[in-house]
Amino acid sequence: MYRIYLAAGLVLIGIYFALPSGGRTQTTLYDVIGGSAAIVIALSIRLHRPRLWLPWALFAAGNAFFVLGDVLYDANTSPPTVADGFYLAGYPIIAAGLLILMLAAGGRNRIAALSDAAIFTVAFALFQWIFVMGPAVRQSGSLTEHVVAGLYPAMDVVLLGGFVGFFVSPAWRTPAFRILLAAVLALLIGDEIYGVNTDAYANGSWVDAAWLSSYVLWATAALHPSMRALSEPRRKPSLRIGLARVAVLAAALLTVPIVLLVQTLRDKPLHPYVVAGLGSAVGLLVVARLTGILRALERIRLREQAARSVAEESESRLALHNEELVEADRLKDEFVALISHDLRTPLTSIIGYVELALDEDVEPPLDEERQSYLEVVSRSSERLLRLVDDLLFVARLQSGRLALATAEIDLCSVVGQAVEEARPRAEAKALVLSFLGSSPVMIEADKGRIFQLLDNLISNAVKFTPDGGRVDVRVVPARDGAVIEVSDTGIGLAPGEAELVFDRFFRSSQVSAQQVPGTGLGLFIARAIAEAHGGTLTAFSREEGGTTFRIELPVREAPQPENAEEELVA
Amino acid sequence: MTGPLVLVADDDDDILLLVTTRLRRDGFEVLQASSGDRALELAKERRPAVAVLDIGMPGLDGLQVLEQIRADDELREMRVLLLTAKAQESDVRRGYETGADAYIKKPFSPAELSTRVRELIDGSSSD
Repeated sequence: MYRIYLAAGLVLIGIYFALPSGGRTQTTLYDVIGGSAAIVIALSIRLHRPRLWLPWALFAAGNAFFVLGDVLYDANTSPPTVADGFYLAGYPIIAAGLLILMLAAGGRNRIAALSDAAIFTVAFALFQWIFVMGPAVRQSGSLTEHVVAGLYPAMDVVLLGGFVGFFVSPAWRTPAFRILLAAVLALLIGDEIYGVNTDAYANGSWVDAAWLSSYVLWATAALHPSMRALSEPRRKPSLRIGLARVAVLAAALLTVPIVLLVQTLRDKPLHPYVVAGLGSAVGLLVVARLTGILRALERIRLREQAARSVAEESESRLALHNEELVEADRLKDEFVALISHDLRTPLTSIIGYVELALDEDVEPPLDEERQSYLEVVSRSSERLLRLVDDLLFVARLQSGRLALATAEIDLCSVVGQAVEEARPRAEAKALVLSFLGSSPVMIEADKGRIFQLLDNLISNAVKFTPDGGRVDVRVVPARDGAVIEVSDTGIGLAPGEAELVFDRFFRSSQVSAQQVPGTGLGLFIARAIAEAHGGTLTAFSREEGGTTFRIELPVREAPQPENAEEELVA
Repeated sequence: MTGPLVLVADDDDDILLLVTTRLRRDGFEVLQASSGDRALELAKERRPAVAVLDIGMPGLDGLQVLEQIRADDELREMRVLLLTAKAQESDVRRGYETGADAYIKKPFSPAELSTRVRELIDGSSSD
């Protein structure tokens, strides 16, 4: 849509210059172009519905005032005329619109945007005063004429001032903004040309091209879809020192030397008071602006420093914490080793002396009551010893210090020994304890550990099988190893406990309910031994009730990858 | 008639008494030493058939005493049984490498220890 309007506007401007100069048709066309721009701007507010509509309404109003000025303009009347009134009223309205738009677009850097605008405005004012307003004011004529003639360039200063802050904001990237910039520049160029030689102006002169373009461009900007985005308040802070910003500050600072140079070369008065006053103002404003930038940078630096020190602190705290954890782990290992050693020494005395006391060959013999007490002490100390052994074993397992002393062994004879070891306990509960297996079943394994593994499983089976039940142990040669099964007619496994029983310190719900003594380490250790041999240990409930534990062992453990040990060291 | 002479060395008096009592009940004659140095002295003076040495003793420890016994031409043939509270396999291996004839872990059954001592004496006499 904006393209159609732009094309139509340019065509109309072309027609305007084709028409006879100063004619009634030409003047009317001028007014039509201006009027259409004011109306289009007003309509585009309804079309795009920008969140910030006020600036655009002000642009429409300002342009409408210009159009009214155009309609009432009469070259033959000396100023001040009614047309001058409308013209001069249009500038502040448009400048106000630009200012509002700039403040919205500037977001959090409003002060920066305003000070940039102020700097450029003062510098431009110096320019205007020396080259445009001064001559206009010093022309012959009444005071009012002087005032009116001087007001136009002053209004341009106001307009440009409203624009500069905007120029350095991120809004620069929107097309609507660029078109708007072109419109303002066209207006300023027209005004400047007119201001420098007012008397030469007549309807249809080339200056009109600038003003007409300004109208058309202004309406095009309003019609462009990105005007909506331009009117969105932005929250993103832009503290970057952009090239545009530096250029504005540099241009402002260069104003004074340029003005002095130009005036000297033209051999015109230097206006030292004006130049010194406005130059100082520019200088002070630039200093203030730079101070603001430095302060902002300092704030950022301090914030960054604070953030970094917080990060460093938490990092060092983390390292310390890590050290503490390593130390705690080491202390735990040391503690377990110490306990197992230091508990063994008094246990040696307890177990040994109880055995001496229960010696039947010694005279006089113990009475039955005291003998039963000492038997309790004996059983308890044996249990305590097993617990200490289990804890030590697990501690070694955890620190990866479980070394197997493997040799070629007959699995059947080891399992048979473990069965015979448990036989007295089985007979005490009237259990049938059977062993099925024919020697030899040769595998490479640590005899002591395999015995410990079987002893654990068979003791468990005997412990958890009610009086009069059965415990069956079988050794079956497999393709490349052997399978050992320990089955009982005991309490069985609750659903879902088949894997859990191998967890460290796990106690099945039935076991806890029946208060069967134990640490919950036995099966954990048993599985660890099976796995250290490259085998597996699994448990499952039997259909006829009870539990089966199945151990599968390879003939020999698969060779470890060579770098396994290095990895552990690393 | 006195039984075979056995040297027992342990820095823990309770253990020393425990082993001594069991061995005496089983008919052995027992020499007591509460340190490694004293044990070596007694071994040289009295030439016991068997020495029961605790590994963990201040001064000369059990392994050092064993080394000196094996290095001495006159004591070399003495049977030595090591006692330790350390259950590490590496200790067992070191004990045998140094020249121990038997090895018993604490805690132990005194009756079993006595049996092992008897086996050592019977084994050496049948050589």
